[in-house]
Amino acid sequence: MNSFTPPELITAFPEIFLAIMSLMLLMLGVAGKEEKHKTVSNFAALTLLLLAGAVYRFCHGSNLTFNDMFINDTFGAFMKVLVLIGSAVSVYMSTHYLERQRIMRFEYPVLIMFSTLGMMLMISAHDLISLYMGLELQSLPLYVLAAFQRDTVRSTEAGLKYFVLGALSSGMLLYGASLLYGYTGTTEFTHMANVLNGTGAVSLGVIVGMVLLLSGLAFKISAVPFHMWTPDVYEGAPTSVTAFFAIVPKIAALALITRVFMGPFGHIVHEWRQVIVFISVASMVLGAVAAVRQTNIKRLLAYSSIGNMGYALVGLVAASEEGVKAIMIFTAIYMVTSIGAFAVVLMMKQRDRMVENIYDLAGLGQTQPMLALAMTVMMFSMAGIPPLAGFFGKLFVFQAAINAHLYALSIIGVLTSVVAAYYYLRVIKVMYFDAASDDTLDRAEDRRLNGLLAVSALALVLFIIAPGPLLTTAQAAAQSLFAL
Amino acid sequence: MIEAVFFYVFATVLVLSAIGVITARNPVHSVLFLILAFFNAAGLFVMLGAEFIAMIMVIVYVGAVAVLFLFVVMMLDINFAELRKGMMKHAPVGALVGFALLAEFTWMFKSWSPSSAALNGVAQPIPDQAAISNTHALGEILYTQYVYLFQISGLILLVAMVGAITLTLRRRPDSRRQSVAGQISRRPEDVLKVEKITSGTGVF
Amino acid sequence: MDSITFDTAFWLDIFNTYLWPLLLIVGKILLLVVPLIVAMAYLTYAERKVLAAMQLRQGPMMVGPFGLLQPLADGLKLLGKETIIPSGANRFVFVMAPMLTFMLSLVAWAVIPVSDGWVIANINVGVLYLFAISSLGVYGILMAGWASNSRYAFLGGLRSAAQMVSYEVSIGLVLVTVLLTTGSLNLTTIVTQERPIWVDVLLFPMFVVFVISALAETNRAPFDLPEGESELVGGYNVEYSSMTFALFFLGEYMNMILMAAMTTVLFLGGWLPPFGIAALSVVPGFVWFAAKISFVLFVFLWTRATLPRYRYDQLMRLGWKIFLPFTLLWVVVTAGVLLYNHALPGMSAAM
Repeated sequence: MNSFTPPELITAFPEIFLAIMSLMLLMLGVAGKEEKHKTVSNFAALTLLLLAGAVYRFCHGSNLTFNDMFINDTFGAFMKVLVLIGSAVSVYMSTHYLERQRIMRFEYPVLIMFSTLGMMLMISAHDLISLYMGLELQSLPLYVLAAFQRDTVRSTEAGLKYFVLGALSSGMLLYGASLLYGYTGTTEFTHMANVLNGTGAVSLGVIVGMVLLLSGLAFKISAVPFHMWTPDVYEGAPTSVTAFFAIVPKIAALALITRVFMGPFGHIVHEWRQVIVFISVASMVLGAVAAVRQTNIKRLLAYSSIGNMGYALVGLVAASEEGVKAIMIFTAIYMVTSIGAFAVVLMMKQRDRMVENIYDLAGLGQTQPMLALAMTVMMFSMAGIPPLAGFFGKLFVFQAAINAHLYALSIIGVLTSVVAAYYYLRVIKVMYFDAASDDTLDRAEDRRLNGLLAVSALALVLFIIAPGPLLTTAQAAAQSLFAL
Repeated sequence: MIEAVFFYVFATVLVLSAIGVITARNPVHSVLFLILAFFNAAGLFVMLGAEFIAMIMVIVYVGAVAVLFLFVVMMLDINFAELRKGMMKHAPVGALVGFALLAEFTWMFKSWSPSSAALNGVAQPIPDQAAISNTHALGEILYTQYVYLFQISGLILLVAMVGAITLTLRRRPDSRRQSVAGQISRRPEDVLKVEKITSGTGVF
Repeated sequence: MDSITFDTAFWLDIFNTYLWPLLLIVGKILLLVVPLIVAMAYLTYAERKVLAAMQLRQGPMMVGPFGLLQPLADGLKLLGKETIIPSGANRFVFVMAPMLTFMLSLVAWAVIPVSDGWVIANINVGVLYLFAISSLGVYGILMAGWASNSRYAFLGGLRSAAQMVSYEVSIGLVLVTVLLTTGSLNLTTIVTQERPIWVDVLLFPMFVVFVISALAETNRAPFDLPEGESELVGGYNVEYSSMTFALFFLGEYMNMILMAAMTTVLFLGGWLPPFGIAALSVVPGFVWFAAKISFVLFVFLWTRATLPRYRYDQLMRLGWKIFLPFTLLWVVVTAGVLLYNHALPGMSAAM
């Protein structure tokens, strides 16, 4: 018998707490006859929010547990706080929409919680196996959520498409993981980093494995060329689910990519740099060019998210502490912007029916100036126009790239953001300068959405006044990733 | 020698039935071939000394998963020829991609050289089979070193179950269910009325 | 051609390493299977007699003394009939199905210890093997139902498949509980393991669940819906005749005996004399084993004579909503109690 010391559970406390809470809310929802979706949903949002606070307050340093499969460090804590806030907001803002569509059930918040748990495990993964398990726990609820409006063809098609392609990407990821295990003899990240310590030639198997692993992960952040599912799924899924897709899972996947490529592959930057450069450039270009022709706002935001992931990856290409810090700042700002943009999309209805066309926004500048103003802030921020926060997100990323002597990449990035600015500005043009059609949008009465919109717009505008807290936290977090 | 004979029998049948799975015209035959393939794979596991995995393979894959496969395939009236129609159109592209991958992987495996660090890093050496049965050995690491992964797998399965129920369960208010408690608590005095009827008067 | 020299040493070696063990195994198998088939034949006789006695009839009386030759006559009659394969049937699968059913019911016996050391293959994972084989039984039925190309047969097959899959879950959990108390998957160890009386008490509810699930698993009354004569005119084997039918029939009864044997091994102490009375061990082990099996089988027949058939929704309800949660709970309770009393296998050694 080998001796065994029980794993230290306190390190994974947020995850364990979330798992227990999800199970309890599931039980609460199932028990009894009457529908309890409201209670469950409020509890879920509250739990996620409180947990975000707890993680922010208590998770520091760098601790391994569960046989070194799980890591809890400041970098992870930063990303987890983002994920938890994003999930809490997603739950909070979807209730009314789902009720109006008559698809609200208690499983919705529970699935979001499970998915969030999966994302936290992804962020904390310190082993290829735990990476994969976290990824699956994150994806499975997403497939179900995409098909949540099961009586419409569009939603079920979105779910099925997402599921089939997701399974394919998992397959690639697993193949990559098995190759990595075969060629390095370990699945644990620290061991792997020691094996791939940059001395001696890297075997071809490791490179193929790494590329396959990256393919699987790139699918999750919908980077080109693994982006095909994004517009269809964004358009088909219920809007509140699309909001969740846009706001949260990408943060976790981005964190995972950062951890994997800075950790075990940190010493062989020269082997993966050109791959990520390609993915990054392709995403930026496609995100800018393909979005120009879109009139459906959900599809537009899908392409915009593809482009934004391209920008985030620029920070990774820099492969420096500054780059990681830039990724984190960019992600945080991107999350806030997405929350605001989707709050507007969730308010777009005419005579109580949801509409998704950009031209339905026509005349919003006259009918609802405050809403139009908030949307303008979102669009300007996404386009990267100073002095809004979105500008700084891009600035830090490009700065990191320039400091790493990646001039071509930065120039492409700037050019594509100029192209992308066109379609963001077009939305603003439609709102202020197009004549209102007979059907104007209904007045935005949902208090939750209005509140969120106001908060995110203010955050984006006021970021320039007090950027300090975000920057210092990101700095500390980035440092912790390189401390090992 | 006898091991070798059994190995070749299992391996041959496994490969042949795997080919049968993808070539059989009748989908039910495909599933039956699949079952045969699982079975032979289990046989190979037994020969490796991994009897626990072999049995679990039969119980889970053959006894549960494939039964449901068969169930669905038998009940659905799928015209597979119809489904395959578009396949020829995309076959060249598929073949090209497949060929490219094959070439890459061949090239890659030719350069196989496990690093020396790889051999030192093996997480769990296989214990002596004579000293400890492999069920026991598996249990010893599954619930200690890998307890984290074990728990997450449980969560993933739970999510799959919740998802399946969410997407398919419809509450049907018109369906009449049996209420056992209601049936048992029914008393004659609640539902029966005994009337004394004098002849010639009728009930009312 | 060279002169063929007869190398005695070589052939002796071949004989000693391969042929002799093979003969030995075949001999053992025959020794087990022949009595089994006889037992199975007389189980049909016993069933008719027991039912008759419970319904105040006489049962078979005409063939031989007390009708004792009746099973033989039935068998001969079936053999003499023509094998009919329906024109729309899938011939290969149609013929395979009964063979599979019969074969599986025999294969499982390889790991059943009839008496101390009297077992063909004393493998480490005996319980799992039994569970695996019994989970395969559903294929014969499903294949038969599908290959017959008949609605009645197909419905019978589907019903049976759903039923067997449902009850296997609780059987699996019952097995887990037994394993918790013995700490071994080996059937001989399970029998010989000393169990304190309170553990037996703890296992009693699982024993009840197991016997009921065994009834469902073997498609016996009151769970004989797959064959529901009243609505399915005989169920999955409606198109079968002659030897193919006989194989199904044999397989079914053999499965009954197998389930009874499993109950005996897991809960009733196998070949050991009842209640650990030492004086009773004069009687050889296999007699006790047979006696215990007969008792369980009698319970099966008794149930058939007593209870009306379940409705399909009731059957599913019992399996999924009552047995599954209960067995799940009981696994936890048993584990907890054992842990509390430091009675988990291997625990005292570690202490």
